[in-house]
Amino acid sequence: MTTLRAFTCDDLFKFNNIQAVLNFLLQYGIPFYLQYLAHWPEYFIVAEAPGGELMGYIMGKAEGSVAREEWHGHVTALSVAPEFRRLGLAAKLMEMLEEISERKGGFFVDLFVRVSNQVAVNMYKQLGYSVYRTVIEYYSASNGEPDEDAYDMRKALSSDTEKKSIVPIPHPVRPEDIE
Amino acid sequence: MAARGHVQDPNDRRLRPIYDYLDNGNNKMAIQQADKLLKKHKDLHCAKVLKAIGLQRTGKQDEAFSLAQEVATLEPTDDNSLQALTILYREMHHPELVTKLYEAAVKKVPLSEEYHSHLFMAYARVGEYKKMQQAGMALYKIVPKNPYYFWSVMSLVMQAISAQDEKLAQTMFLPLAERMVEKMVKEEKIEAEAEVQLYFMILERLGKCVEALDVVRGPLGEKLTSELRSRENKCMMMYQRLQLWPECNALSYKLLLKNPDDWQFYLSYFDSLFHLMDKSWSQPEEGEHCVEGPVQTTVTEAVKFVVDRMEEQDKKESRPLRGPYLACLELIHRLRQRGCPDEKELGDPLELMVQFFGKFGDKPCCITDLKIYLHLLPPEQRSQFKKRLGELVPLGEAGEDGFGFPGDTKALQRHLCVCQLSRALGLQHALDTEGKLRLITELKAHYHHGLQFGKSCLKTELQFSDMYCLMAAHVYVDLWTETGDENMLWQCLGVLEEGLSFSPSNAQFKLLLLLLFCRLGAFQPVVDLYSSLDAKHVQHDTIGYLLTRYAGSLGQFAAASQSCNFSLRFFHSNQKDTSEYIIQAYKYGAFEKIPEFIAFRTRLNQSLHFAQVRTERMLLDLYTEADVLEESVKAMGVCPEEDDIPWDNMRDNRDLTVLVSWDPKDRELTEEHRRLSLEEESVWLKVRSLTLRLLASLALLGHAPSPRNSDKTNENGISAKSSTLQTLLSQLDQTLETAAQITEKQTQYPFLGPPSSRLASALSSGSCHCQASALQLSLTLRELETTGLDDSTELQTQICNAFKSSVAQLQEMLSRCKGEVLEMKDGRLTTRPSLLETLVFFVETVCVVLWVASYSASVLRPLKSSLQKKKKKKKDSSSAMPVVLCGFQEWTGSLQGVVTQALDHVKGQEASLTALKLAALTLEEGYSQTQEECGFTRAAMDKVQSSYLGSLQELGDLLRKRADSLKSLKI
Repeated sequence: MTTLRAFTCDDLFKFNNIQAVLNFLLQYGIPFYLQYLAHWPEYFIVAEAPGGELMGYIMGKAEGSVAREEWHGHVTALSVAPEFRRLGLAAKLMEMLEEISERKGGFFVDLFVRVSNQVAVNMYKQLGYSVYRTVIEYYSASNGEPDEDAYDMRKALSSDTEKKSIVPIPHPVRPEDIE
Repeated sequence: MAARGHVQDPNDRRLRPIYDYLDNGNNKMAIQQADKLLKKHKDLHCAKVLKAIGLQRTGKQDEAFSLAQEVATLEPTDDNSLQALTILYREMHHPELVTKLYEAAVKKVPLSEEYHSHLFMAYARVGEYKKMQQAGMALYKIVPKNPYYFWSVMSLVMQAISAQDEKLAQTMFLPLAERMVEKMVKEEKIEAEAEVQLYFMILERLGKCVEALDVVRGPLGEKLTSELRSRENKCMMMYQRLQLWPECNALSYKLLLKNPDDWQFYLSYFDSLFHLMDKSWSQPEEGEHCVEGPVQTTVTEAVKFVVDRMEEQDKKESRPLRGPYLACLELIHRLRQRGCPDEKELGDPLELMVQFFGKFGDKPCCITDLKIYLHLLPPEQRSQFKKRLGELVPLGEAGEDGFGFPGDTKALQRHLCVCQLSRALGLQHALDTEGKLRLITELKAHYHHGLQFGKSCLKTELQFSDMYCLMAAHVYVDLWTETGDENMLWQCLGVLEEGLSFSPSNAQFKLLLLLLFCRLGAFQPVVDLYSSLDAKHVQHDTIGYLLTRYAGSLGQFAAASQSCNFSLRFFHSNQKDTSEYIIQAYKYGAFEKIPEFIAFRTRLNQSLHFAQVRTERMLLDLYTEADVLEESVKAMGVCPEEDDIPWDNMRDNRDLTVLVSWDPKDRELTEEHRRLSLEEESVWLKVRSLTLRLLASLALLGHAPSPRNSDKTNENGISAKSSTLQTLLSQLDQTLETAAQITEKQTQYPFLGPPSSRLASALSSGSCHCQASALQLSLTLRELETTGLDDSTELQTQICNAFKSSVAQLQEMLSRCKGEVLEMKDGRLTTRPSLLETLVFFVETVCVVLWVASYSASVLRPLKSSLQKKKKKKKDSSSAMPVVLCGFQEWTGSLQGVVTQALDHVKGQEASLTALKLAALTLEEGYSQTQEECGFTRAAMDKVQSSYLGSLQELGDLLRKRADSLKSLKI
């Protein structure tokens, strides 16, 4: 039981009720959230429990050149609070983002994920995503952890009838080489 | 500003290196390079502006500003200069100057689309809605693009939203906006989704719901495609506002068939159903069917609908959704509210909840879900319910201690959920002390047992069994508050510290520890705990209160200042952050977001916590830094006449439920608690802000006494100042009266809810009244200043009495501070943190009294010297010294005495604290704490002891510093 609705600024005040890390849902600075709200409000969806607790959210955007058949939906952030996991919420939110991208005539949906985050990689695979390429040192070092590579994972949408957009690139690329 | 496109203009090429230097943060080189360029090309204005940017960024604001103005007065029209000036003004926090810049530019180049659009954005940045409206239209006339037209329309909507007069909004701005859109509709010029959304927004604000519905359902509505269910959501909104319950019902039904887990539509489905029943609505004749499809109007239909949804889930092979099962409980709840007997057809709530537990008991959210419906169980069924759930939890064979443990994390989660539910049912609270202690033992055993499942957990992850530990802490708190046995509290701290050692990122452990240390008056450990929470932006507003409530009140002034700064930094960046995105929202046509962003900014600006930290920060600065009050007040720019706190629109953004609680409903935080807490905090804030303004006023009063001949010119100024002081004092008196009424209520909040404000302890310490009468005294002295020493015997006596009574008040306050803040008695450690709080109030009051004393000296000194001059002339040494002068000397002597006593007291406290050997304490006594747990408890005790010492040291230091000022009080 989940209410899925558009994200609003007031939701920022409700991002605390998280058991583990306090700012689990509140990962970014306010400007980052406002930028997405100003540009792609339809891509910013929250899930709310009946008691009003925020369960998670998805935030994304549409980008890329239509002419080159690179117009696509991008998942910028997907977070589900630990106490609301294993309910299929992430899948539901991804499904919504895909539908929005589908309506915009996107060719595919893509996302970046840490190569070490096996749980997430597997989840995305289950949702129909495949590794398109590896991006070297996409995540910069923090808290003493080294730089980390990302998988660029993709799922073709119906506009890409031949599923050209997801044919894997065998060689890894550098972050500056991706658009 | 790096990307400059193609380099064609030779000036671009010349400026290039300066841009690069600025981009790389090499401001000095940028300035040098600009100077070099300016030598050759005097008229290259942009170079000047770039130099100004370099100067601004190296802290030379004034120089930068005058350089910029040199260029600005020339009214430049080259893109480079304009853009550079825009950047500079923004960095200088003068966005209003950008509007002037482009106003001049469009006058000179009236057909420039670019400059007009910059002008529009410049207005948007400062919220000049009317000018935005005009600028938008001007743009549209030059280049008839739809977005420009609708920028203008949106600016009208903003004028409506910001209008003080709602009538003006409803009769002028919004209708005008509506007509503007209608014109485009008639001409079939509507192009974008954003335009339709804006149209809808206008109609909605005008209350024209029928028209709004027509738009959404008509051909224009077909453009609403970006957002999922955009049309449905908008229709639903209008149905509800128009109370079109059949449509509302049918649409909810339809949407639930598609997604039987979307909770909001169950609510609208039930709401509309009952509205229809209340109106005995019946299906209309043929041909008039509801546009949204079939309508359900009977309980029987609703019951069948919900039961069908559940069966659908039961049959599914994939994971079932929770929605339908909870909808069933919700329907029972609503039917029961209406006294409708049909709830039986849905089944027994106990059975339904047991079934729900069977399906979802291993999910952490099971407690959150079921908690809402526990009231459906009659009290006599509670134990039975717990027993039934217990049967669904697979536990291993019970060991020696009688506890059986789960074999995997799913079983653990189920067992934990039963514990949570039994707490929420009040079963834990009903236990006696022995029962609670046994419960704690059981919870701790489960906690330790469960740690084995999380051996491979990362540091950032929770241990699976963490919540047992937290619950054990809650039961300890129950025991402490019920019995007053402080050992319970120490053990509670121990168990939480232990939990944190296994789960270093558990925010709930940290929050509860933070709260407990604060209650104990130990602020030192709190600083680290709070910073390890890594609170981000808005959280400084929502949970910052946990820190700032206690910071100043416990005498850790340095940490208190720092805590206020954390929050202030965030609040100050808010203004800049939001205006940028308001502009972006115009650009991308996200019109709905514009009022939202502005409301967000306002919500932060009107935050209670913002006003609190702002005020406390300045008071702290005064108490700790102001050796000379006048100088500090001047530096801070406090204006006594100015009240910048939005009393009538205060927003309470505190998250008062950030600490997890499984307490039963009757112990939970209520709306009434929230209201009372806000009331209490507001009154306390009023006391503090009046104190601050009074001190500022006192400082201005004490402005170096002017030479005699200019007395007349100054008279008005000074009397205005003393009347401000008078007004503020009477406001303070009124506020203190309200405060007394509030504290009489003795509101008790749930332990995990908001902390009480400092109001009650401030009043009982006597500090408020002592400060008020000291400030009153300064007014009487001001009177003496005008009357002079002759013919003022009565006034002088009055002043002397006030001198004496202030000493007496301070003495009394100090006597309230006496006692041991930490004590070891009969093998137990007891604390009296209230002594520390009272001592802080005492020290603050000493500061205020000493400032008044210093003002007194400044008044009496010239009076005395002119008296001596007179005496010399008359060669009259026989007449006695005026009463007030003797009284003052006596007063300063007594004040010195009080301060010395206070210092002795602080020293004594420090000595006895240091002498306290906590290691000598035996902890095991009667309670089953393991060796490790004892270690954690001891560590917590040490932290408290050292924090008390720290507070005493800071208080002592401050007293000594203030005592120094006594020396300069000779007249």
